[in-house]
Amino acid sequence: MGAVRWLIVLVGVALAGLGAVAIFGQATSGTQPWDPELSDNFIFVKSIPFVLGLGVAVGLARGRGAGAQRRRADGRVERFRIGTVVGHWIMTIGFLLALPTGMWQYLGGILDVRAPIDLFLFYRVHYVGGAVVLFGVASFLAYWSINADRSLLPPRGQWRAHLAGATAELPPRLSGPLARLFRLDLAARRPTPDRFTYYETGFSFPVWTIALALITVTGLIKAMRYVYPIPGGILYWASTFHVASMVLIVLKVLDHLRYTLPRWPMMVAIAKGWVNEGSIRSLLAAEPTAAPAADADVARAPAMSGSDR
Amino acid sequence: MKRIVAVLAIVWAAANVVVAYLFVTNAFVAKTAAKEGLPAQAALLLGGLLIAVFAVIVAREGLALFRGTSRVS
Repeated sequence: MGAVRWLIVLVGVALAGLGAVAIFGQATSGTQPWDPELSDNFIFVKSIPFVLGLGVAVGLARGRGAGAQRRRADGRVERFRIGTVVGHWIMTIGFLLALPTGMWQYLGGILDVRAPIDLFLFYRVHYVGGAVVLFGVASFLAYWSINADRSLLPPRGQWRAHLAGATAELPPRLSGPLARLFRLDLAARRPTPDRFTYYETGFSFPVWTIALALITVTGLIKAMRYVYPIPGGILYWASTFHVASMVLIVLKVLDHLRYTLPRWPMMVAIAKGWVNEGSIRSLLAAEPTAAPAADADVARAPAMSGSDR
Repeated sequence: MKRIVAVLAIVWAAANVVVAYLFVTNAFVAKTAAKEGLPAQAALLLGGLLIAVFAVIVAREGLALFRGTSRVS
């Protein structure tokens, strides 16, 4: 199975490499009539199938993941497999490239100002960031499609309980009104969280999914506009929702940092994969959404020591 | 390592405060009203305020991490 995985990756890399050579060969042939901005757009849109294909190959090559959880003698457990850690870094780099440049394009248009740097360079970096995000999304979807682990989602029939748990994490002056608005029972006893906190399953992962789906679909429509005749109305709404999803991602990144910064073991886990089991368990016990500490289930819960890996 | 991450978080929060400022101030200028219309102005205002609130929270968490006074861990 290991050889098949590597073969898939090699085929994906080879195809992506051939595609890159052909695309850049055309772009630098000196026969293309376009300005740098349009030329970059064509490079980007022609690269998309290869980027997506490479992402799918890498995602499939990761296999079914999980397996027995690995532990070390020093008390550390493997919360995330290396593929998940690398995938998280890839998405981080993609956002770091695509968000500021996208924000500048939007605000530059609103403010009617020009930066001392040519605009096409902003687009170029934005396209690179977009390609990195597309690779990350394709890789994750391919991995997700062959992996049976759905611990990042609330189990069937428990969405309201997980939403209530996520809401309970907020300060009381916010959680109370939100609970009334969405008719969530914060006082009800919730099942012991399994692997991930209620914030992660009931709120964070679903919002990431919506935001990434929205920005991916609208970005693809926008990218295709010079190579395929997109109706004006569709292009208008794609542009509008692309900006809306960008703002949503800006907010979600801040929310993500707000939640994880004070929970340092989570930062360690996603940066290294390995984390001290005791510290991550004590983190779960500190969650206001968890069952009372006396509940033996909490101590046994694999919530923070296990993962989708 | 905690301090490096804390500084990066504060820098990121500061950049977002600038973005929020630009969003909110440009929600009220005539040029935006003429070019983008009322829905875009409302979106700029709401988006800017939300970004500002979250950026301030992240900056506070970054500061707490830097000082070693984080609430949870």
